[in-house]
Amino acid sequence: MKLKTNKLKEFREKDKMTQEKLANKIGVTRQTIISIENGKYIPSLPLALKFAKIFKCKVEDLFEV
Amino acid sequence: MEIESGTRAKLMYGIASSMLILGLLLNYFNLGTSNFAGFSSVGNWLIYLAFVGLMISTVIALSKKRRAVDERMEFISTKALRITFLSLFVASFIIMIIDGIKAITIPYHMFMSYLVCGLLIIYFITYKILLRFY
Repeated sequence: MKLKTNKLKEFREKDKMTQEKLANKIGVTRQTIISIENGKYIPSLPLALKFAKIFKCKVEDLFEV
Repeated sequence: MEIESGTRAKLMYGIASSMLILGLLLNYFNLGTSNFAGFSSVGNWLIYLAFVGLMISTVIALSKKRRAVDERMEFISTKALRITFLSLFVASFIIMIIDGIKAITIPYHMFMSYLVCGLLIIYFITYKILLRFY
């Protein structure tokens, strides 16, 4: 399964946040952020909700299947 | 006075290492008894205690070290574990066939050690490969 929309990088860059900083905020490794941004790994629901909380948006704004 | 955890670890490693060296020296120069509870291959008690000390120190050091484990790593490790078990079944089948053709004569304990080491290596390699794909 692949994500139709993945705007994580877009949102992160809009917030002027580095991958490292985002990874620390979420509690994952930087490699995981890279994998999600590149579409290699699909985040779980709790992780997607954490992203949505940090970027103050809806989950469907970030990811779409 | 409280000893810092880093100093304590160094102290434990130091004592264990010196016990190991001393035990090996005693064993090498054949001073005192060299049997450990009937298992002469272990050497003397000092070597045994040194190894136990080293293991305990390592376990303490590893448990104190903060490790970042996230869901991606867990996902990959599950996949690697699945592949490892699948390879165990395949290997068992191949071993059965080989044994049918020509009887495997190596001792049971050696065979099990090879099998466990092989599985660990397969798991490690699979994990490292899967890290690149996810």
